[in-house]
Order: sequence, then structure tokens, then C-alpha cells
Amino acid sequence: MNSRQTSQSLRILLIDDDPAEFTLLKRKLAKAPGANIELKFVDAIGEAVDCVKAGGIDMVFLDNRLLPNNDFRETAPQLRTAGYVGPIGIISSDLSGSYFQLFQEFGADFRIGKEEIDGTAISFIVSEYTRDQLSENCAEDFL
Amino acid sequence: MLMLDAAVHLGPELELAVNRMDFFRLFKFLASNHGCEYFGLAEIPGDEQGVNLRHIHALHNFPDSWVGEAATKTFGCGGPIVHQLKRSTAPVVMDLRQDPSGLDDVGGPEAAIIIPLHTANRKRYGLVMFGDAEARMSENLALIALHASLIFQRYFEVILSLDSVCGLNDREIQIVIWTSEGKTSVEIAIILGLSEHTINSYIATVMRKLHVVNRVQMVASALRSGLIS
Repeated sequence: MNSRQTSQSLRILLIDDDPAEFTLLKRKLAKAPGANIELKFVDAIGEAVDCVKAGGIDMVFLDNRLLPNNDFRETAPQLRTAGYVGPIGIISSDLSGSYFQLFQEFGADFRIGKEEIDGTAISFIVSEYTRDQLSENCAEDFL
Repeated sequence: MLMLDAAVHLGPELELAVNRMDFFRLFKFLASNHGCEYFGLAEIPGDEQGVNLRHIHALHNFPDSWVGEAATKTFGCGGPIVHQLKRSTAPVVMDLRQDPSGLDDVGGPEAAIIIPLHTANRKRYGLVMFGDAEARMSENLALIALHASLIFQRYFEVILSLDSVCGLNDREIQIVIWTSEGKTSVEIAIILGLSEHTINSYIATVMRKLHVVNRVQMVASALRSGLIS
């Protein structure tokens, strides 16, 4: 776990048109060892865009099928167009569609099945997508 | 084609894995499918060092408590698991009740599946999966080792081999060009519609490929070698 988790909470935005998923994810997050996570929920991409524009969102969990939109190929780019540069994870109960292979091209960082999300998966996601990948030598002040 | 009772990830999905998260999912599935709650994959150093679970290429879902104080005893060079990985190339099931691993102190498992793995460029890795059902692990050891080696081979092709691959792909060149124009990672992320994490991941890969240590050197090296103009 990195220092961020121990020092301040990580704000995750769940975008899902089923409010029950919010309840389920909250229960799972509570079981994530060592993670200090604040979960926010919206049920439409328009609200999500407003939310990320307002700032303060560290990570997004985006439901693949968000009615009335088609799938993440339509919704994830809207978050990027709004200037959001944090990690976006696509969550779905079925990842078998061949279009999922395009997730990186559409601005998403990872994909995960809803049934796969548990405490250890959340801990890995938080650790993987919040750690510094570049050494201090790579700080942009060096430019 | 791999055939498992619940082939959620292996088989077709193995070929679709493209990033570390996908491989985390594959190894986690393999572990849970054989009654193991936890798994860890890391490079096995040849010297007297222990296993570094925080290395950029390591993958695991261990609780923090295992990576803390207990890590020295369990994953240090003198621990039974690392010792096994250093002395043998055969997969085994270790009864941790007879070979105390250090994890027993923190409410740990009773048995471990230990699978030595090797990359095509002669680096040694080890996959360890922890569970409580030693009998079931032993029965399935050959199948588990086969699946582990297939996933690991794909991990090598997609992730590990990038360190030794020459040349940059189109996306990497694009990011070096934007960096040469003074753009920050966040600015490049906005321009390309990606996350800052993805941009930094590309930059880290380019730096490993070019054997450089910072962005200035990365751009200079790319210019000198004609990768960008």
C-alpha cells in the first residue's frame, strides 16, 4: 500500500444505473484491507461528467452498460473530454464481448467483472493505480 | 485450448490479457479455482536477497500484514518458500504446518502451492498460492502448474519482455514527441484522452527500453537514435 492510502481517503466515483450496485460495492470496499476509501455514486454519465469537472475524484468505476447509452465506448470518452485524467475501470457482469479488448483505446485503464470484485481485488486496484510509476528523477520539474 | 470447470478467464481470455490488472485477475482466478485465497508472483533473485513483493513486475493479493513484518521470515532468502524456489524447478505443495512460513503468526494458511517459473530470457520467477486444503492441491498440482506456466508465458510476452524489446511502438513515440514539446503527463493525458497513469506507464516503459533515467534523457536518446526527429 502506498502512503496515500494511509494518509488520506481515496475518492472513488461509481457510475452505475443500478443503485443496488452502490450498496454492494460499499460492502465490498469495507472489506478491502488497509484501504481508506470514500465512495460516491451517480447513475448517469451527465452527472458523472459534472462530478469529475468539479474535481476531487481519484478513480472512476464505470458500469459498462449505462442506460440509455450503449457501452463504455460511448461513456468513457465523455469523462476524458471533460478533462478527467484519473484511472477509469470498466465494470461489467459480462466481459466476453470482443469490444472490451478496445478498452484502452477508449480511455479506460482496466476492466473487471462484477463478480471478481472483492477486498483483495480492490486493494490491488488502489495500489496499482495510485502508486508512483516514475522515480523522482522523472519529476516534471526536470524538464 | 484450456478447459476448466469454470473457465471464466483461461482459454480465450488468456489471449486477451493486455495489462497487469488482467494478469492479476487471471492468477487470482487460478488460485481461487484451486481453493487458494491468496497468490503471489515475483522474481526470484539469484543472490542472498529475499523476494521483493513491491517490484514493478510483482503481482499479489497478500494482505498488508504479510508484506510487512512477516515478509522477512516468509519471503526473505532464508524462508522455506524462497529456499524451495531457489533449489528446485519442480512444483510442490508445502505443508506450512510442518514448514513454518511466518504467516502462521498472522492467521495464515496451512499449505502453499509453490511453482517455479522461468522466462525465455532466463529470469527465475515463483508463483505461490496459499490455501488450507493440501489434499486437493496435491491432486491438481500438475494441472495448476500447467495453467500457471501458460499464464506466466503470456505475462512474459505482454509485460516482462517489454524491458528487452528494441524500438518503440506508435503510442510510445507519440508520447515521447509530446514530452519533447514540453507537455506534462497530465497535459498529454488530456490531449490523448487517456489517464495520467497510462501516460506514466508508457513513459516508464520507454525509459526501461532506452535505458535512461529521466524525461530529458529519454527525449535526447530518442532524438539521437532517430526514433523522433
